[in-house]
Amino acid sequence: MPKNKTFMRLSFLTGAVSWVLLLANVLLLARQAHDGETNIGEPYFNNLLSIVFILSVFIYHRAKSQIQKGSDFTTPLWGLFIKGGMGAYVCLLLIVGYPNINFYWVNSPYLLDIIYQVLFGFLVYFLGKAFYTWRQFILYQKTKDLQSQWKWFEILIYLSLLVPLLNLEYMNYIFLILDLGLLLAFSLYMSVHLHWVAFLSLDRKWASIFLLTAILVSAVLFANFLFNYSDSPELIVDYTDNPFILLALAFVVIYTLTSLLVAIFSLPTSKVFEQKNADLMSFQQLSQTIQQGKSEEEVYSMLFDSAIKASGADTAWLEVGTETRLDSDTHNENASDPKERELIKKIVHLVHEQTDAGQDGILVQDNLQLIPDFKELNVPYNSLLVMPLTSTKRKYGHLYLLREVENGFDQDAVNVVQSFTNQTVLTIENLHLIQESLQNERYKEELKIASLVQDRLIPKTFPTDTWFEISTYSKAAKEVGGDFYDFLQLSESRIAIIIGDVSGKGISAAFHMAQMKGIFHGLMQQDLLPDEFMVQANSALSRCLERTSFITSALYIIDYKMQGVSFARAGHCHTLYYNSMMEDTFYFQTEGLGLGIIRDQSYAKRIHRLHYDYNPNDVMVIYTDGIVEARDDAQNEYGEERLKYMLSQTYHLEAEDIKSAIINDVNDFTKDILHDDQTLLVIKFKQPQPNV
Amino acid sequence: MKIKHTISDNTITISLDGELDASSSVMLDEELSNPSIMMFSKILVDCKNLNYISSAGLGVFISHLQRFEDAQIKLIFFNMQEKVRNVFEILGLDLLMTIVGSYEEAVTIAND
Repeated sequence: MPKNKTFMRLSFLTGAVSWVLLLANVLLLARQAHDGETNIGEPYFNNLLSIVFILSVFIYHRAKSQIQKGSDFTTPLWGLFIKGGMGAYVCLLLIVGYPNINFYWVNSPYLLDIIYQVLFGFLVYFLGKAFYTWRQFILYQKTKDLQSQWKWFEILIYLSLLVPLLNLEYMNYIFLILDLGLLLAFSLYMSVHLHWVAFLSLDRKWASIFLLTAILVSAVLFANFLFNYSDSPELIVDYTDNPFILLALAFVVIYTLTSLLVAIFSLPTSKVFEQKNADLMSFQQLSQTIQQGKSEEEVYSMLFDSAIKASGADTAWLEVGTETRLDSDTHNENASDPKERELIKKIVHLVHEQTDAGQDGILVQDNLQLIPDFKELNVPYNSLLVMPLTSTKRKYGHLYLLREVENGFDQDAVNVVQSFTNQTVLTIENLHLIQESLQNERYKEELKIASLVQDRLIPKTFPTDTWFEISTYSKAAKEVGGDFYDFLQLSESRIAIIIGDVSGKGISAAFHMAQMKGIFHGLMQQDLLPDEFMVQANSALSRCLERTSFITSALYIIDYKMQGVSFARAGHCHTLYYNSMMEDTFYFQTEGLGLGIIRDQSYAKRIHRLHYDYNPNDVMVIYTDGIVEARDDAQNEYGEERLKYMLSQTYHLEAEDIKSAIINDVNDFTKDILHDDQTLLVIKFKQPQPNV
Repeated sequence: MKIKHTISDNTITISLDGELDASSSVMLDEELSNPSIMMFSKILVDCKNLNYISSAGLGVFISHLQRFEDAQIKLIFFNMQEKVRNVFEILGLDLLMTIVGSYEEAVTIAND
């Protein structure tokens, strides 16, 4: 903007200087006329100076004028009247006082010339200010066409400034007159661009009418002085010859007049416009409530206020669910009492039954007084509008609106109220969604904690010893799982290892898994045999496992001194074994029923114990069904055969490497898509070595 | 998962088609919990098109096992695919439930 500032200062300076020079020149000319002396006064010089002055003033205003942004039009109007229009009244004072001043005080032949120059200065200032204020208004919400039209209008008007430079009696040239006439028509055309009037509220419209009138009076006064004195013989110069001044004045007067007329004639319709605007604002507010973090209560009350305003209801209430959330008690003195409401609800019910429209249609009742029951209540209402608040999923409630006039709710009002309720329902549902997602977020956090807790239930490190190597792997399909394994050192040379899988997935499986760990540690304090343990565990679980749940498990007790392993399988996956003496890989085919399937003493018959003497370098692979039932894209299962093959290829490796090889193969097979919890334990036996 | 049943005299034949996983086992549970099922003395389960059974699916059969036994209702599975049968066997259910090869065998056993 510094460039604009410079323009303003420069034009102000040239304006002031040219005006002073103009005045001096005029005075010199006047002296010449009066005294008949020749001096430096030049009529042609006068024309030039006046053009410089006019141009400076207009450029000053052009630089000063702003682009209309908001709908505040009274401030620029007020500015125009104060800064421009007041000049006319000052001149009025001067001119009224002129005979007196002339007679009593100064009595100089030059006084009229001076007054005329002052008038001219004020006039040009006023015209410049008005011209650019009107430009600001015309270009409000402009189109591209309008902008270019204005540009040409401005250029043509400025071109007319050149006419006095030619110093001729332009009235004698028919084509110039025609041109000026066309420009006048152009001004008329520009004067129909009155968008801004429509954006005025009623109060603003009144203010604008007042200001426009004042401005119009100023303009007329200016015109009056200008023309009245132009023919006065005492005057040396006559600015009525200047077509630019005439055109600008004509444009300002025409535009002011049309604005004034349009403002006056749009007064009766402005209420409707204001109402629509208010509806729009309410709608915007409703739709923005979510971003503003409003509560449900606030949304309802916003709907309530907007609906009353839009429909002009005399009384209203809003029912959400069965309770009355809001009523117009606070808004209106003729609030309805509960008895009345009951009756209206009855009427609504009745009408719905009659029309068979269902409980949730929009109901408009135009003449309540025709209903005998209602007439007895002796209340003044005639029209009723019931608007349901429903979405596809839920019914929220009803909005009741009553008016005293008959046929009080036309289709337009119904539509507006309906769009309010729709927006409200949308907003409320969105609020619920946000709350739900917050709740979900909290659940997720809880699950994360559960996952951490469960992770701690599974041992990460087994006791390291010289007689065996053990390597473990476990991964849950969801945050928490139903797979588990654990160990317990029974004595210096004996260790119990358990693996298990709780049916189902998720939280309930995780709880049972934790329970099973407790049972394992509790029962194995008694140093039970594997089958005895299973019988007792089955009995313990029978009391707390729900009917559809069961647990598969296998317990291994490895005796390092005896070089033997004895185990029991309760419905769990078969144990895979590599015998280094026979160089054979096989599954132990033992029988045994899962835990929690039979819940009485007969379970003891269903579980068996197997003892096996191991050799150094034998490998035992323990796993859950998540490994063998892992699936590929075509839903093929990984299977026991492939697992057996993997071990037959890798038995010579360390336990850790055997485990990695198997897991990598499973992941290759499934392409890393996990359907079920997976657990794998690889135990490799070694030469017995004396403890150090 | 599709569950169909055909009725003849005192026998109801339930055909399972598809995968019996956590969600579809709820449907099966509803089917088996229906009080009218106690009117039959034989329940035959056709597993020909049962491609997969999850632990939840097994749980449904297990939970109704005792009830049917108490009411002296025979529960017989037939036409079971090898991999599904393997699941029953690993869990030890083959010794607890009657699993036979064909429909005819199932009918014969049911009529014993």
